[in-house]
Amino acid sequence: MLAVEALKIRYGEVEAVRRVDLSVGGGEIIALVGANGAGKSSTLGAIAGLVAPAAGRIVFDGTDITGKPPETISRRGVSLVPEGRRIFASLSVAENLRLGGAMHLAAPEAKAREQEMLDLFPILRRYHRIKGGNLSGGEQQMLAIARALMAKPRLILLDEPSLGLAPRMIDTVFDLIAGLRRNGLTVLLVEQNVALALEIADRATVLANGEAVLAGTAKELATSDLVRQAYLGA
Amino acid sequence: MVAQQIINAVSLGGVYALLALGLAIVFSIVGLINFAHGELMTVSGYALLASLFLGFPFPAAVLVAVACGALAAVAMERVAFRPMRGASITSLLLTSFAVSSLLKVVFQNGVSARPQAIAMPSWMTGAFSLGDFTIGVGPTISIVVSVLALIALEVFLRRSVTGTAMRAAAEDFDVVRLLGIPASRIIATAFLLSGLLAGLAAMLWVAQRASVDPLMGFTPVLKAFIAAVVGGLGSLPGAVAGGFLLGVIEVFLQATLPAAAAPYRDAIVLSGVIAVLLVRPQGLIPAVRVQRS
Amino acid sequence: MPTSLYRRHHAALCAAVFGIALTAAPALAEEIIIGAATAQTGGLAPYDQPALAGLRMALDELNAKGGLGGKYKVNLIIKDTRSDTAQTATVAQELIDAGAKIMITPCDADPSISAGQLTQPLGIPTLTLCGSAPVLTEAVGDVMFGTYPADNVQATAVADFAIAEGKKKVFLLTSPDATYTANLPEYFGKVFEKKGGTVVGRGTFTMGQPDFSAEITNIKGLADQPDLIMTAAYEPDFPAFIQQLRAAGVTIPVYGADAIGTPTIKGLGSLVDGVVFTAAGYAEPGSKLEAFNAAFAKHAGHAPESTYEVNGYEIGLILDEAVKTAGSDDPKAIRDAIANLKDFDGITGKITYAGTDRMPLRPVALMRYEGGEQKHVETVTPDAADVPAP
Repeated sequence: MLAVEALKIRYGEVEAVRRVDLSVGGGEIIALVGANGAGKSSTLGAIAGLVAPAAGRIVFDGTDITGKPPETISRRGVSLVPEGRRIFASLSVAENLRLGGAMHLAAPEAKAREQEMLDLFPILRRYHRIKGGNLSGGEQQMLAIARALMAKPRLILLDEPSLGLAPRMIDTVFDLIAGLRRNGLTVLLVEQNVALALEIADRATVLANGEAVLAGTAKELATSDLVRQAYLGA
Repeated sequence: MVAQQIINAVSLGGVYALLALGLAIVFSIVGLINFAHGELMTVSGYALLASLFLGFPFPAAVLVAVACGALAAVAMERVAFRPMRGASITSLLLTSFAVSSLLKVVFQNGVSARPQAIAMPSWMTGAFSLGDFTIGVGPTISIVVSVLALIALEVFLRRSVTGTAMRAAAEDFDVVRLLGIPASRIIATAFLLSGLLAGLAAMLWVAQRASVDPLMGFTPVLKAFIAAVVGGLGSLPGAVAGGFLLGVIEVFLQATLPAAAAPYRDAIVLSGVIAVLLVRPQGLIPAVRVQRS
Repeated sequence: MPTSLYRRHHAALCAAVFGIALTAAPALAEEIIIGAATAQTGGLAPYDQPALAGLRMALDELNAKGGLGGKYKVNLIIKDTRSDTAQTATVAQELIDAGAKIMITPCDADPSISAGQLTQPLGIPTLTLCGSAPVLTEAVGDVMFGTYPADNVQATAVADFAIAEGKKKVFLLTSPDATYTANLPEYFGKVFEKKGGTVVGRGTFTMGQPDFSAEITNIKGLADQPDLIMTAAYEPDFPAFIQQLRAAGVTIPVYGADAIGTPTIKGLGSLVDGVVFTAAGYAEPGSKLEAFNAAFAKHAGHAPESTYEVNGYEIGLILDEAVKTAGSDDPKAIRDAIANLKDFDGITGKITYAGTDRMPLRPVALMRYEGGEQKHVETVTPDAADVPAP
């Protein structure tokens, strides 16, 4: 479904991503793990169109989307839940959700989809009229995911969904991500919490210093020495 | 007396609010103070002159003039600012200065450096009595139009998808694009709205001044800029509050300052602005904007 | 950038005009440089440009006849002051450096004084196009000449007229931003009070001010209502003031002076009905001014907008006469000749500098707007004893 080939990203003189190859099949959960600054978020940014790659190719569903603007990529069916959630603080929960589907669904369809989201995230139904900025971190994360799902994407990119959340909330969010796959969605997950990521992922790729250094099934990686020493503290 | 001065202040403040709002909308989306905003007023003013000259009835001429202001704003974005997208704020600012100077020269050389008279319909120079005091039709129109425009804008921003997207874009433009909403649509709408507001303000301005001249946009845009800064740059409620505050201060000083101190009027107003900013550096109602690295 | 574009346009025009003149004239004539530091852009441009057009017409005609005094071909160098006082000094210096022996300055006291401060030490005769503040010449010194009827003379003419009409109470609206707007109504007030009227109130405005409502409310609130408002406000302040005044329901007549004798104010139509103002002359049928207006229309392709054109034209005639009397192109001799001019037959009437502080004695035409037209009321030369001191 998604193929990233020899991706290179540069911010001025700094090379954030040297070479990343990645392939994601339909219905899979793929985890992209690695230390802070390894190039994970930049890779997601390039797929979503926020960052123009210096070299390489990104192909989604057989179409080359390299360097296309984010609005185009979104309309092809890729939704990014950005790091730090970035919900619209001055907009109500309802407005946040509506913008998520505004360009993808006709009005009646969007209404129905909004109801589905409110069923999926009952807490959002309770806070429907509340401004996004007044929600707690976990609630904001739910809103961010719901907002991305409003577009009925086929591929969802999740950037550090556990960041800054209370442990109980992390479990809820990850249960939810696992649930998304059951609904046929493909997930590309960037996560610093490697143990957690490997728990729900089918396959994973390890990034270090902007390069993909290791790839395999989640099980293989969880037992590999490199991963155990570097990320699982074993 | 006092009631009349309050009407004067609201009438003037309303025009400032419309202009400041136009500046704030564009600033909130693209981070640019459009110094050519005043020339949008000039475009509208001359469009009114031309429409009347061509024999359009007055209401039609006003519609044409306001529409010209809006179109000019969109064209300005297309021609001058879109090619500069991604350039630094300084470059954009200089571009807006260049556009402003260019348009001034176009009107100065293309029409005349001399102000052109626009005779307002006679009903606009009338007055009506309300209880004890007489109220001019001019200030009344000015207040009604500004208030209606503010309400219409509020409804648009609250109820429509594009309006909601614009409020969202003011906070975090990238995420709006991630949701599939085209950047160019948001930016074009921002300029369109700012042009509409400038066109309306120009009509109120011309109604009060009965003439248009190539430099007519300079003073009001300067005032609007002050109002926008006082209110909190990029904050729409702030721009409205700043506009009305400036109107009140100006009318108050004009009404009460002794003649000997009159030359210092602008200095006093600007000192007041500095005082406000010392107490509230982000303005009266600061803009919500996500801090990003 | 904008102004340089504009200047290039004018330079090209000048080159064309003088190119023709040069090829048509005998090659023996000597050249005299006249520097014109005038506003082609900004607030003074609507006044400087028509005046300059009149001057250029005079100089073109004189050059065709051999130049000033029949001898000195004029090379007129025009530079834009952008209606800015500091910029006026800058371009005046450039013109001096270019060899100007006569200097022409804008229609306002402040920039004229700033240019005069440069020409005074060098003894270069300096004439303001239509600056009419009587303090103007004294502020500079003996090289500075006014050409237009002075503010105090105009104000006296209007005050005499108001008193004769039976007006008793006046409100004076001034702006401290320019000598003209600050002083002219006050001269009016002095004459008005001396002749039995009273000043019942005063108000001020800032030039370019958006809003006059507070001032107008003050006028409406006066316990002693005036029967006349006198102001020297001009464009775009005058239209704004009268529009807002009438819109507030105030019908008190408003009188002004020469700066509102323009097509813009005329274009206001019924809004300015009854407004009295002044002009340097009135083209009565068969008058020299009528003939000039026709000639100007032929020369420029449009009728004169005001009497600034003829005033500019008369500056050319005055300079011609002065050079003739001086018999040389020596700036000091030209200056002396202008200062001693007596009963010189201009287009609008007799012009005298001898015995004055270099503000000319000349008639003032009183005009009134009626139904979108400028109607001549009378032409008067106020009694010198009535004219208040500057």
